[in-house]
Amino acid sequence: MGKIKSAIITALLVAAILVLAFFSLFSWNVPDSNGVERYNSFISGIHMGGDLTGEASAVLYPEGVLSAEKYTNGKPDDADKLAEYEGNYKQCGSVYVEKEVLGEDEKAFKDKVSKDAEILSARFGEKGYSSYSVAVQDDFTIKVTVPTNFSYSAYTQKDASARSNETTKISRTVRALSYGGELALINKETGRPNYNYILTNPKVEVTKLFKSVTKIKRSGTNAVKVKLTDLGKSEFAEFTPAIVDATDKTIGFYVGGKQLVGLTISEAITSKTFYISVGDDDSLAQDYAITLASVAKGNALSLNYNPDDDIEIVYLTPALGEHAAIYLGVILLLAVVGAIVFSIVRYKKLGLVNTIMIAIYSLAIIVAMLLIEIQLTVAVAFAAVLGLALMCGANFALFEAVRKETKKGKTMQSAVKSGYKSVLTAILDMHVILIVVALMIALICKGELAACGLVFFIASVASYILYWFTRFMWFVISSPVKDKFKFCGFKREVPLDE
Amino acid sequence: MNKLKLSSRMHVMIIVSAIVIAIGLAVGLICEFVADGYFNYGNEYKSYQSVTVKYSSIYFNEDTVKEVCDKEFKSADISYYASVCGEDKDYYEFRFSNGTKTEKIQSAIEAIDLKISDGTEHPLNFATYHKVNAKLGGGYSLKFGAIALAASVAFQFIYFVIRYRLTAAFAALLADVHNIGIFLSLLAITRVPVGSSVFAFATLTVLMTMIGCSFLFGRVRKNNKDEAFAKLGANEISDTSAQESLFSVCVSAVAFAAVACLALLFLSISALSVAGVLASVFGALFAAIATVYGTSFFIPAVYSRFKRIGDNFLQKHGKKSKK
Repeated sequence: MGKIKSAIITALLVAAILVLAFFSLFSWNVPDSNGVERYNSFISGIHMGGDLTGEASAVLYPEGVLSAEKYTNGKPDDADKLAEYEGNYKQCGSVYVEKEVLGEDEKAFKDKVSKDAEILSARFGEKGYSSYSVAVQDDFTIKVTVPTNFSYSAYTQKDASARSNETTKISRTVRALSYGGELALINKETGRPNYNYILTNPKVEVTKLFKSVTKIKRSGTNAVKVKLTDLGKSEFAEFTPAIVDATDKTIGFYVGGKQLVGLTISEAITSKTFYISVGDDDSLAQDYAITLASVAKGNALSLNYNPDDDIEIVYLTPALGEHAAIYLGVILLLAVVGAIVFSIVRYKKLGLVNTIMIAIYSLAIIVAMLLIEIQLTVAVAFAAVLGLALMCGANFALFEAVRKETKKGKTMQSAVKSGYKSVLTAILDMHVILIVVALMIALICKGELAACGLVFFIASVASYILYWFTRFMWFVISSPVKDKFKFCGFKREVPLDE
Repeated sequence: MNKLKLSSRMHVMIIVSAIVIAIGLAVGLICEFVADGYFNYGNEYKSYQSVTVKYSSIYFNEDTVKEVCDKEFKSADISYYASVCGEDKDYYEFRFSNGTKTEKIQSAIEAIDLKISDGTEHPLNFATYHKVNAKLGGGYSLKFGAIALAASVAFQFIYFVIRYRLTAAFAALLADVHNIGIFLSLLAITRVPVGSSVFAFATLTVLMTMIGCSFLFGRVRKNNKDEAFAKLGANEISDTSAQESLFSVCVSAVAFAAVACLALLFLSISALSVAGVLASVFGALFAAIATVYGTSFFIPAVYSRFKRIGDNFLQKHGKKSKK
């Protein structure tokens, strides 16, 4: 390859890396928008876990249970009414419970709360949060803590709309997942008036109608996919024709007394599968699917939580400190710089080829995390570092194999060929194993583990592609160089007979 | 010249691993019965007592509230292990371990209330006591994580049986199990808080072990193709291959450990406490230690014995078939 060709290819690649790096790392206010519009860098758009941007915490109060604050603020000024008010409640630790709700058996009430916490824990587990906790607080309430999932621009409030979107999602999720009560399918026009307008046969348990409820996404639209059992199919075939002819064509999926989601139909449902369209909100569709699946399996909450819908959500500062995200960024930057310095010190100009690969790898991970919306946590960052180590390790193993070949007195071209051949199977086997294993972890696991698996899958694929790209760039960059051994920091040991 | 005589130290390696795992088991089991559990569960899974302080920013700022509370907790002779404050709402939460005496916490709350009270019937500033019993939400992640890891290890075993040898497949399987065992034992011994990230680090330990095993057994396979080399004994092959692949085996784990040390330094500065970052940083550090020790030292030593058994088996059955 000629000097000019080599220079053009290298310059084009470096320019592409620099442009992508610029858009990945720098954010700025759009000119002439008075700071209203802002370009957010790729890196500031990546969603982060609770350890970096904090957690959102909510306390769920069953109907009839009040916090000390609400109890005190709800006291009437009138002395008679005050006595009656105080007589209605019993103080249980830090909360006040309506005597009528509590009944005789305090333990039974506490057991109900404890069982509900377990159901809620399973529901929140389905959300795939990087970390979350569901705990019984003061025996009578449930405390839910979930990661805020803010991007850096939302966390620092530089992108107010992104932050407000995330906070809306959190409060909606907490509300939707804490719907208490059994599932009922209701239509106010065609339902059985004697049975609260319930559509299904009162003798049939509603849990026996559903096989599965999942969330799906097709061409930008999110929907809840409902699969029915044989019994469910015949039930739906029985009551849906009447709804088609009615004015109100909606099947209300009620959980407890509240409608969770509605399905408007234009023709009778005769198949085993149908879809409830939710629009473009991915999180909302998931919330509905989780709650419906839970109640359809018979895991209904026995108590009604926050009946006034006034769930107070407190956003907590991250446990690793307010600027943990910045510090993690610095750590990752140092890891990248360390890998670059090591490459250049050990392999001289060949280290620069590896530097290009490190830059491409880093950008690929940033773009993938942004596009696939992988939540960044400290553990996920370590998975990305392991991917970087894998890529550098594969290249270093190759470079060492080539160095070994040069010691046998081979020419550079021959040494590269033999070096690649000697590590070919080991590198291939390693990547095949890691790609399959990472994919299994990403698909089987939930939350942070799945995120680690996904990042490592992308890292492994990138590592193998870049391993071969290294050979191409090595050839391109070293082509015009006269002393190819010096370029790599290798020494050719000439055999005595040469 | 081979300086790594690992195969002759197989018994030492087994004793070291057995001691670490036995101590881990002992500490874990003792703590299971007399303390909080087999592991020292972190904030996500820990039951605790808490004091929440709600206040109006008209009267106080965040620092003043913390100062008042810290003073009263000190007077009551109690100390919290974690504190979090609200970002948008005027809220502070102090967490105490279950071992802290409730009466002392209550007395501190009364003192705090006196200091921050605005004296109205509907107070805006007040402190409340809570007892929080955590449900093991992580059990959900653990279940799927365990399934995925078991499937991964099984896949690696089958792949090694096909692409390498049965002895290498058994050694790789042992490496995965051994390294996870060492990782979990180190967590149990050191009582580092175990959070959800620990599951991720356990998974990364297996991934690092797989990287190491691929390099190690890749080297063994390549050396076996050399006729002169293949004639050497199992010990020599194992030791030489371990030495030749040491750099490649260790590079990912050492890089991982280096980043963990950087994380310890920087995240401690960020959190203004070393305790807060222990779970993440030590999880990574233990993963690196388990991988380097297990894959670079323990497995080559044990593999030499596996290989000898395998070779003897082949020789015996080879002779029988010839007869």
